[in-house]
Amino acid sequence: MENSGYSLSAPQNYPEIIPSLIDYIGSKRVAGFDSIEANNNVSDHSQEAGYQPSLTDGGSEVPISQNDASQTIKSQHSVSISMPSSPVGALLQSPKRVLFSDKNETIPANEALHTSAQSETASSQQPKTKYYSQPMPRGSANPEVVIDGACLHHFRERLRNPRMDRLKDKRFDPFKTWSGRLERQISNLRGKPQEEPEANVSQSTEIEALPVDRYFDALEGPELDTLRASEEIVLPEDKQWPFLLRFPISSFGICLGISSQAIMWKTLATSPSTDFLHISLTVNLVLWCISLVLTAIVSLTYILKVILYFEAVRREYYHPIRVNFFFAPWIVLLFLALGVPPSVAKNLHASLWYILMTPIFCLELKIYGQWMSGGQRRLSKVANPSNHLSIVGNFVGALLGASMGLKEAPIFFFAVGLAHYTVLFVTLYQRLPTNETLPKELHPVFFLFVAAPSVASMAWAKIQGSFDHGSRISYFIALFLYFSLAVRINFFRGFRFSLAWWAYTFPMTGASIATIKYTNEITNPVTQSLSVILCSVAMLTVTALLITTCIHAFVLQNLFPNDIAIAISDKRPKSQRKWFHLRTGSSDTRDIENYLKFAFPDSKDNEASPKAQVPDDEALGPNNGHNV
Amino acid sequence: MEDHNAPPTQQIQIAVNIETSPTTTEPVNNVVVAKQHLISQILIQFHAGYFRIGLSLCGQALLWKTLGDGEDQGDSHITFHVCHMLPPTAFVLLWSIALFTLGALSVVYLLRCFLHFKRVKAEFLDHIGVNYLFAPWISWLLLLQSSPFLSPKTFYYLILWWVFTVPILVLDVKIYGQWFTKGKRFLSMVANPTSQLSVIGNLAGSSAAAQMGWKEAALFLFSLGMAHYLVLFVTLYQRLSGSNSIPTMHRPVFFLFIAAPSMASLAWDSISGTFDISSKMLFFLSLFLFVSLVTRPTLFKKSMRKYSVAWWAYSFPLSVLALASAKYAQEVKGGVAHGIMLGLSALSVLVSLVLMVFTALNNKMLFPGSTSLNRHNSGSME
Repeated sequence: MENSGYSLSAPQNYPEIIPSLIDYIGSKRVAGFDSIEANNNVSDHSQEAGYQPSLTDGGSEVPISQNDASQTIKSQHSVSISMPSSPVGALLQSPKRVLFSDKNETIPANEALHTSAQSETASSQQPKTKYYSQPMPRGSANPEVVIDGACLHHFRERLRNPRMDRLKDKRFDPFKTWSGRLERQISNLRGKPQEEPEANVSQSTEIEALPVDRYFDALEGPELDTLRASEEIVLPEDKQWPFLLRFPISSFGICLGISSQAIMWKTLATSPSTDFLHISLTVNLVLWCISLVLTAIVSLTYILKVILYFEAVRREYYHPIRVNFFFAPWIVLLFLALGVPPSVAKNLHASLWYILMTPIFCLELKIYGQWMSGGQRRLSKVANPSNHLSIVGNFVGALLGASMGLKEAPIFFFAVGLAHYTVLFVTLYQRLPTNETLPKELHPVFFLFVAAPSVASMAWAKIQGSFDHGSRISYFIALFLYFSLAVRINFFRGFRFSLAWWAYTFPMTGASIATIKYTNEITNPVTQSLSVILCSVAMLTVTALLITTCIHAFVLQNLFPNDIAIAISDKRPKSQRKWFHLRTGSSDTRDIENYLKFAFPDSKDNEASPKAQVPDDEALGPNNGHNV
Repeated sequence: MEDHNAPPTQQIQIAVNIETSPTTTEPVNNVVVAKQHLISQILIQFHAGYFRIGLSLCGQALLWKTLGDGEDQGDSHITFHVCHMLPPTAFVLLWSIALFTLGALSVVYLLRCFLHFKRVKAEFLDHIGVNYLFAPWISWLLLLQSSPFLSPKTFYYLILWWVFTVPILVLDVKIYGQWFTKGKRFLSMVANPTSQLSVIGNLAGSSAAAQMGWKEAALFLFSLGMAHYLVLFVTLYQRLSGSNSIPTMHRPVFFLFIAAPSMASLAWDSISGTFDISSKMLFFLSLFLFVSLVTRPTLFKKSMRKYSVAWWAYSFPLSVLALASAKYAQEVKGGVAHGIMLGLSALSVLVSLVLMVFTALNNKMLFPGSTSLNRHNSGSME
C-alpha cells in the first residue's frame, strides 16, 4: 500500500513537511484542482528541474494506474502528492515510474534513482530517504530515470546561454577584435594575470560576413534596429553590454547636426541679405568649437571601438542602413571645414580637400559598385532614405572644393553625385515591392530627402559662380520636398527616439542655408522672411533634440541601449531552440510546454510546428519578395 | 557561341556533326563540299555579337585620328608630341584594317541574312542579341567620322550618314516602343547592359550629324538617346532582377556602362562646339564608372577563363573613354588631364592589341564547332 509504505519508509521527513503542506492543501481542497495545486507546491521545490508539469500527469496517473487503494489515494490525494520528500515526489518526477507503483519491490537502486533525481531538485530540503516500497522494477525504470536525470543535466546545461560562463565577459569575445585575443595581448603587455582562453574562441571563427538577407529577416523598423519576435541575438539581452558595443556609428549624427548649425550661423552672419538681423560671428565660433570637440570625442570613441571590437564594426558595416552612416564622419569633417570661423582660418589648403575626399571616394566606389553589380546588396533591394547620406557627401565635397577655388575635381564629384542621386531618387519614389527597408509610415528619416537637392543647389551655385537656373531648379525641388514633409508633421509622432535622429536635422539646416543663398540672389521680404522662418525652425529642432538627448543621457540613462542590430545570429533559430532558451519568469503554460516536450516527443513536434510556422511565415513573407 | 543562342545552337550542332561526319571521313575528293559546309557553318554560328570586333577597331581608328588632330591644333604639350611620333601612315593603316574587317563582317552578316534569315530573326527576338543589331551601324558611323579622306562637308558623307542612320532610327522606334508597350518586353524585364548599345547608336549618329553641321538632327538624336539613357541608367542600376539577367560569359559587356556617358560627352561636345560643363560631367561620370568596374575584378573573373568573342567588349568602351579624355585634355590644358588621356589611350591601344593577338591565336575558337577539328569544343559555349 502506498500509504503504509510511506508511513513506514519515511518517518523522519514526514512530520517535518507534511503538516504545513497538508494545511495548505486542506485549505484549498477542491475536487478536481487538488492535483494541480499540489503540483504547484512541489514545483516550488523542484523548480529548475522542470519536473513539475509531469506532476499533472503523474497526479492524474496515480489514481489511474493504481488498482488497489485508488480510492484511498484519491481521498488522500492531496496528502500523498504533496509530500515533497516522498517517493511520490521522486516518483512523479518521472511519469513512467508511476505506472509501476503497484509493485512492491524494494529496489536498492531506488536510492540511486532517488539521488540522481534529487540531485536536480532542491535536494537540500530532502535528505536521504529510503523508499523501500518504491514500485519500480529496476530494469525498466531505472535507466529511464537515470537517463532522465542525465538528460536533464544536459538540458540544464543547454538551458543556459552557451556563452554564459563564469566570467561573463567571455560572452562578448566574439565581437572583440580577433575574438578577444587583442585584448588579451594588451592585458598581457600590461602585466595582468590571464586565465586560459576558453573554448569559446573557436566559436568566433563562425562569424563571417552576414548576408544582407539575415538583416532583413531578423530586424524590422524604419531604422532596422528592432528585433523580430522570432529571432534571437547572440549576446545576452538582459545585461547591459559594454559601452563600446552599444556605441553605434549613427552617433556621428550629433556632430552632423551641430556642425551644420555652425555653418548656418556663419552664413547668417556673413550674408548681405540677413544683415538686418545683426548676428555676430561669435555664435558661429562657439558652435564650431563645440562641434569640433564633439567630433573629436565621438571619433575617438569610435576609433576605440574599431580597435577593440572590430567584429561589431564589421557587422555595422554590413547592416543595410548603418553602412550609410560610415559616410558621416567624413561629411562632418567637410562641414567643419565649411563652417570654420573666419577668425580661425581664412583660407584652407587645397590638399586638405583631397585628403577629406579620398575616403568618401573609396567608400563610394564600394557602395555604388554594389548597387550596380546586382548581387545581394543591389539597389532594388536595399534602397532606403539613409542612402541619401552616401549621395550628399559628393555635393558637400563639391561645395567645399568650389569654395576653395578648385575647378575640375568639384565638377567630378558633382557629376557622380548627380547621376547616382537620380537613380536613388527614382528608386525611392517607386517604392518597389521588393524593397523592404522603406518604412511604411512617415519617419524622421524622410527628411533626408531634402538634403541632397539643397546641398546640390549650393554646390552648383558655387561652381557656376552665381545662383543660376540649375541651382534654382534644385533649390525649388528641395523646398517642395521640405514643405510636403512639414505639413505632415502629425505623422511624425510615436517613434522611439534614437541617436540617428540627429542626422535628420542637418537637411533642415541645409535647406535654410540654401534659402539664405537664394535670398542673396533675390532679395525681397518674402525670401527674407522665408529664410528667417526656416532658420528658426532648424534652430528650434536642434535645441529640442539637444534637450531630448540630454534627458535620455542623464535622466533616463538609456541614450545608448543595447545595439540589437549588430547582434543578430547568422542563422534563423530553429523551432526547437525556442524551448531551450532560458527566459526569466515561469508560467504554467511554459511548464506544460516543457513537460510535453520531455514526455511526449511526438507531441512536441505537433505543438511546436504550428507555433514555429508563424514566425517562419513572417520571415518568409518578405523573403518571397526577393525572388523577383 | 553566345548563350542566348544556345538552345537553337545546340540542336543544330548535333545535326551538323552528323552531317559532316560522313564528309570528313571521305578524303580530299570532297574538298569543295567541305568548304561549302565550312562556310555554311560559319554563317550559322556568326551573329551580330561579332561586330564587337568592328566596333573596337573603328573606335581605335577614331581615337588615333583625334589624338592626331589634337596635335594639329597646336597643342604643344609633350603628350601630343609623343603622338606626333606615330607616323600618319600608321593611322591610315589602322583605318584600312578597320575598314576591311568591318566590310568582311558586314558581308558575312548580309549572307547570313539572305541564307539563314530565320536565325537573324531569332537574334532579333532575343533580349541581348537585338542590341547588337545596332553595332554594325555604330561601327560604320565611327569609321565614317574617322575617315582620313572623306570630309564631313562632302556629299558622300551626307549620303553615307543617311544610309547608316536610318536603320538606327528604325530599330529605335521598334525597340524603344517595346520598352513601354509590349507586355513581354518591358524594360524592367529585358534591361541589361547591352541595351546601352541603342543609346550609343543614337549618340554616334548625333555626333556625326553635328560634324556635318546639321545641328537640329544632331540635337534630335541626342535628346532621343539621352532620354532613354536616363531611363535605362536608372533601371540598370536598380538591378531589379539581380545579376541573373545576363549570362556570366557576357560580363565584359558591363564595360558598356563606361561607353554610353563617354559617347554622350563626345556628342554634346560636337553639338555645343566646346567641351563645356555638361560634357565634363558626363566624362567624369564615365571615368568614375570605369574606376568602379576596374576595382571589381571578381565580377569578370568567371568570364575570363576561356577566350570568347565577348572579350572584344572590353575594347570599344575603353577607346571611347580615351577619346573623351583626349577632348577633355584639349579643353583643359593641364598636366593631370593629359596624364589621364595618355594613360587611357595607352590602355585602350594595349587592350585592342592583346585582343587581336588572342583572336589570332584562338581563331579556331572564334567559330567553335565550325571546323571538323573543333568537334569537342562545342560543349563549352561562350
